[in-house]
Amino acid sequence: MKKPNDKTHRLREVSCPTGWTWTNLKAELRAIWENNVKEWKIELAYPVAFIRQCFSPLVFLLPFLIYGLVLVGGRFSENLLKLVGTGDIVTFIFTGYIIMGFIGTAVWAMGFSIRKEQWYGTLESIYITPTSRLSLVFGMALHSTGHQAIGTLLQIVVIYSVFGLALKITGMLPALLIFALMMFALYGFGILISSLGLILKEGWIVAEGLHSILQILSPVAYPLLVLPTVAQQASSVFPTAPALVGMRTFLIEGYRPETVGNVFLHLLALSAAWILFGIFIFRLADVYVRKRGSLEKY
Amino acid sequence: MVYSEDSDAYSIRTVNLTKVFGRKKHSGIFGFLRREKKKEKSRGEKSVTVALDHVNTEIRSGELFGLLGPNGAGKTTLVKCLSTVLIPDEGTAIVNGFDIMKQTSMVRASIGLVIGGERTLYWKLTARDNLLYFASLYKMPRKHARERVDELLELLNLADRADERLEDYSTGMRQKIAIARALVHDPPILLLDEPTLGLDPVFSRQIRSQIRELSEKQGKTILLATHYMEEADQLCDRTAIINDGKIVAVDTPNRLKAMVKETELVEVACYNPPPDTESYLRTLCPKVEIITLIHGEESKGTPSRIKIIGGNAEERVGAVLDALRKRNVQITSLNIGVPTLEDAFIKLTGAKLTGEG
Amino acid sequence: MTRGEALLGIKSDLFIVWSEVVKNIKFLLAYPVVFVFWAIFPIFWFIPFILQGQAIVGGLQSQSFAEIAGTPEFIPFVVLGSILNSYVMTSLYGMGESIRREAYQGTLDYILSSPCNKAYILIGKALSESLASTIFALSQMVICIVFFGINVTLGIIMPTIFIITLLILGLYGMALMLAAASLQFKQAHDLAHTLEYVFYLFSPVRYPIESLPLWAQIVGKLLPLTYALIAVRSLMLLKLGLTALYAEIIILILIDTALIVIGFYLFNRMEERTKKSGVISQY
Repeated sequence: MKKPNDKTHRLREVSCPTGWTWTNLKAELRAIWENNVKEWKIELAYPVAFIRQCFSPLVFLLPFLIYGLVLVGGRFSENLLKLVGTGDIVTFIFTGYIIMGFIGTAVWAMGFSIRKEQWYGTLESIYITPTSRLSLVFGMALHSTGHQAIGTLLQIVVIYSVFGLALKITGMLPALLIFALMMFALYGFGILISSLGLILKEGWIVAEGLHSILQILSPVAYPLLVLPTVAQQASSVFPTAPALVGMRTFLIEGYRPETVGNVFLHLLALSAAWILFGIFIFRLADVYVRKRGSLEKY
Repeated sequence: MVYSEDSDAYSIRTVNLTKVFGRKKHSGIFGFLRREKKKEKSRGEKSVTVALDHVNTEIRSGELFGLLGPNGAGKTTLVKCLSTVLIPDEGTAIVNGFDIMKQTSMVRASIGLVIGGERTLYWKLTARDNLLYFASLYKMPRKHARERVDELLELLNLADRADERLEDYSTGMRQKIAIARALVHDPPILLLDEPTLGLDPVFSRQIRSQIRELSEKQGKTILLATHYMEEADQLCDRTAIINDGKIVAVDTPNRLKAMVKETELVEVACYNPPPDTESYLRTLCPKVEIITLIHGEESKGTPSRIKIIGGNAEERVGAVLDALRKRNVQITSLNIGVPTLEDAFIKLTGAKLTGEG
Repeated sequence: MTRGEALLGIKSDLFIVWSEVVKNIKFLLAYPVVFVFWAIFPIFWFIPFILQGQAIVGGLQSQSFAEIAGTPEFIPFVVLGSILNSYVMTSLYGMGESIRREAYQGTLDYILSSPCNKAYILIGKALSESLASTIFALSQMVICIVFFGINVTLGIIMPTIFIITLLILGLYGMALMLAAASLQFKQAHDLAHTLEYVFYLFSPVRYPIESLPLWAQIVGKLLPLTYALIAVRSLMLLKLGLTALYAEIIILILIDTALIVIGFYLFNRMEERTKKSGVISQY
């Protein structure tokens, strides 16, 4: 901490960890955790909404499954087998849809973390604290990830009970690792979108647009191969497509990956790129909005 | 007062602090069709508002410093710049020895901010949860935070309601929690922006009493931005008068009031003054410096006030009263020669604390 | 009451409805980006279903699908489901959101303390939402005709408008119930979401209702969207005439009547209750 100069020798010292120190890192991690706890407390104050949101991933998954079953009159698709080496529609769609809620974490939970605080009226109060803004965003990410995990568990239980799932148990660990790498990259993407929330009053439109585009570019309910070539190439820039291909490779028997290359390295590179890019844009947006004075304008 | 007159320790110092905002007109979805307005607008002209105009001021350690001005004077902008929420266009400020532009984290650790208004806390959380959460954002160790929160809740007489949600609190109680939040990390400097806004007289008095205690007993440096003259008058060691982004005068309230000589002030309280009262009285008293009509809430029993400030105001009393009676103005009281901070404000700026022109 | 007084009363009620419509449309036009978004973007939400269909079937038609749905063309099936479902979204959220917006802006107290019958204000809100939905639906339909091969002949336009009008009336009834709930319960927004899920799962938005288990079909057959979808798809995809759909139309009318009557009743009751309890406009 810098010592005050001669003219200000009567000033009071303040104790606050800053910079790249272990104490400061612990303090920032604690702030992330407390933000997460705060969000849980506020969410559980609306129990109806909480319960509904737990079922939400299931509600949006079921139409994909039922629609698929109706299209081929059963669970097995010849065309899907030809394309990716597996004809089991239910397992294929289910392994894709698991990540949908987590795309929502990046786009909505993180993307609108700042807007949410503006809506509460607490954004300025948070901004004047010495904790990094990114801790606020990561706190929301942690909360949303936990939330989605509950919804995903519910999905697994219901789909397994009703339809049955043919998954390789030995593939669970590598699939989880791929999933974790995907989440890091999605967090970087989420930081980028949160800076949009700072700048744009109607940022939800951009977020909704990006969410929809990401959903289309991610092979959730169909193989990548049905997309036009340009779209297939564009999908490699986002973590969801390589992650889904990688996870299915480990989880589904007979599945033929639609992309080449090492999925772990690909996701590592994407994580680093998105996090760095996201933080860069976030810092620019922070300065911009503080110069304009539009921090508390909802 | 904790500070000494000879002290050269400044908790806050602003150096040419300037902030300019652009203004944007909304002419509706079909505004682009209005070509006449586009022609009228001269090229290169941009509508701007100078919210702070090269402000230079110093606040000593332990001082309770008032910032008095009407709405739109620049008080909130100054507070926001000092709290690092707003980046100034020019100049800088040194807060607790740290530059607001280069050492923002340390500035934030040195200040507590209280803003007037309803929604600055989480209503769905309890008072205790709100305070503990913000304590974590100030990087306080957990055990210390818990002790500090308990201490603050006791101090504010809210310990028995600490575990109730803020949505069940009254406005005044929420404002107390907002003050507690500003104090949770025990900062040396408090920035208070209209802390009694919207509060009833009882709570306002309690808040003011707390502010005074924080200054006198705990030696905190307090910047109090307000448009309530009584607040600045009663509480502040020194007051800066701000208008249109400029600080017009800085001194103790008594010295500011002394700028308005006793013979220079006449105040007439009345009901139903006609709209052209000011211009009419000006023709009657051409040598008087300032004649201003401050509308009161007459339906609620608060009369309007006509203030006449100037060299020979006292001599013109008779003529003014006769003129008002002829226009059927109902006069309720007459005050000669006891100036208030508002009078000083009007004399120095020509404007009213209510923000009218 | 004389005939003149009655006419004056009707005129002023209609003026209330008109004023509300004009106000809400002005709000919408104050956000042109939002306007353009809703006119185009909902199309992106059913593209995954189209791609999924192509991947699973290997073409644009499915015989298995035709056995249940009556048509092998699953793409127009999904597209029509999406467009009509958008009416559900705007009806469920639009009115409740409109009321919450009034509460947030602080104008709800003034509206509710005015001497007019509040139901006309709600009708105005509902009409403006429907008008907006129709503009968006038309825009989406044009895009779908160009890109997804939907065939629309002149002869089916009027019957389609008739069916959609019946659908909207039923949704008004539901929206009134939600509006009643939003006066009293701050979590009425979640009720709207829950209803949205019910419509989405149990109505034939993405798949024929016959593909659901029996208990789910029973739930679906209580919803106005089910009959509207069956009727519109029959008109556009199976090329049936309106007279062949008399059963669906009669059931839709009966459901609409029930929903509107219950909706009005609940709203008036809740309004009285909230005025007494003082919960009104607590945001």
